[in-house]
Amino acid sequence: MDKALYIAMSGAKHNMRAQTVHANNLANVNTTGFKADFARARSMPIYFGEGHPTRAYALEEIPATDFRQGPLVETGRDLDVAVEGDGFIAVQSPDGSEAYTRAGSLFIDALGMLRTGNGLPVLGNGGPIAIPAAEKVEISGDGSITVIALGQGVDAPVQVDRIKLVNPPTDTIQRGIDGLIHLLDDAQGELPADGNVRIISGFVEGSNVNAVNELTSVMSLARQYEMQVKIMQTVKEDSEASARLLQPAS
Amino acid sequence: MHAALYVSKTGLAAQDTKLTTVANNLANASTVGFKRDRAVFEDLLYQIQRQPGAQNTEDTQLPSGLQLGTGVRVVGTQKQFDYGSLQVTNQPLDVAIDGRGFFQILQPDGTIGYTRAGQFHLSNQGEIVDPTGLLLQPAITIPDNAESVTIGTDGTVSARIAGVAAPAILGNIQTVDFVNPAGLQAIGGNLFLETAASGNPIQGIPGQNGLGQVEQGMLENSNVDIVEEMVNMITTQRAYEMNSKIVSTADQMLQFVTQNL
Repeated sequence: MDKALYIAMSGAKHNMRAQTVHANNLANVNTTGFKADFARARSMPIYFGEGHPTRAYALEEIPATDFRQGPLVETGRDLDVAVEGDGFIAVQSPDGSEAYTRAGSLFIDALGMLRTGNGLPVLGNGGPIAIPAAEKVEISGDGSITVIALGQGVDAPVQVDRIKLVNPPTDTIQRGIDGLIHLLDDAQGELPADGNVRIISGFVEGSNVNAVNELTSVMSLARQYEMQVKIMQTVKEDSEASARLLQPAS
Repeated sequence: MHAALYVSKTGLAAQDTKLTTVANNLANASTVGFKRDRAVFEDLLYQIQRQPGAQNTEDTQLPSGLQLGTGVRVVGTQKQFDYGSLQVTNQPLDVAIDGRGFFQILQPDGTIGYTRAGQFHLSNQGEIVDPTGLLLQPAITIPDNAESVTIGTDGTVSARIAGVAAPAILGNIQTVDFVNPAGLQAIGGNLFLETAASGNPIQGIPGQNGLGQVEQGMLENSNVDIVEEMVNMITTQRAYEMNSKIVSTADQMLQFVTQNL
């Protein structure tokens, strides 16, 4: 059999995988704080020994996540925060380690703990943040949380904690399988808080998925896929022709 | 089968749920004391096809991996407890809470439901009841010879009795607050139930300890912002269309291979 069949098959298979990446981006076109993944195909030459170096398989991979800012959406809710520019909000992932997110739709649970929309505790200066029962909670641009306690006047605001904001270089972080941002190298431990990261309260960050890009990629991948299948078809016809030629004349 | 099919299926399902939330908000745009919901989206788990940093050969590492996302889901609907605008009705038994707090309503099973819809009526016994006939707690009975009823900002209910100079105090409307009102369970009929997520009700006198004052002759409108909901509806519809486009593309890819090979 001609190896072209296998090469076209790997091309088609990896087209399908890339399709999944774009489908996931588009499925999250409305997800708060979502960052789109890039998809890229790389050629994997498998030329060993003597012969003509023509065999190169395609290999699909996600080289990086697009960390650009998504659009800010005004909600007017005090506990909605969006990171302006670079940076992340530190949260405690279920295994207890520190992880980072930009999905800042926060709420206060029954015990007064500040959590993200999916229930992870938000980290402050010294671990998870507890907020006392309050009439009003304000989150300022540097992450400081000020409350007006129950029964106190507006002239008695109290600062309770400060949300830990970090700003790691994007080449040291990656998205983990839980959708949160983790350090590439776990041995680095926890990032120090960065005083320059700004957040804005009353807004959430929308998804940064560019729907037109994604749809165009999907169309183009579908056509590439059809070309790969066409090659498989051609190889099949070739091998049928050679099988016919080799048949004894009747 | 094609993974993209399932991924975009989650997109379709999530947009569908969001549209239901938007539709419910819009349907209740005129419901007294209604609090709007917001669907919270989260990306699903990622599957590692190729681990970044794994050994490619003995001496080289893969510079980047292939982690395929599996789509999106709605993790929950968040009740938004910001206040609706107050509307003056001049009805003596219309009461709005200006600030934090909930009225307590005795349900048929003996438990207490909580509401911000202060559209009260009198039963044939003279008791203050909600529009469905459930008793306000603590129970207050207005005598049938009362000429007018006044509800003070601290919840004191008094009535002027015919022929009596001093108004008679009939009782106090007490309100309750929760640490996390968003954790209350909505059961319809404008009522909410306490849950483990909301915390215990903290009872108090309106206007004290952070509870809002009660205002007679006013109602709290629904806090649904119609423009915001319409915009949500448009973005939801477009996201739905794009996900269905992926489903049809993935289907065409599978169709192409089955028909041509």
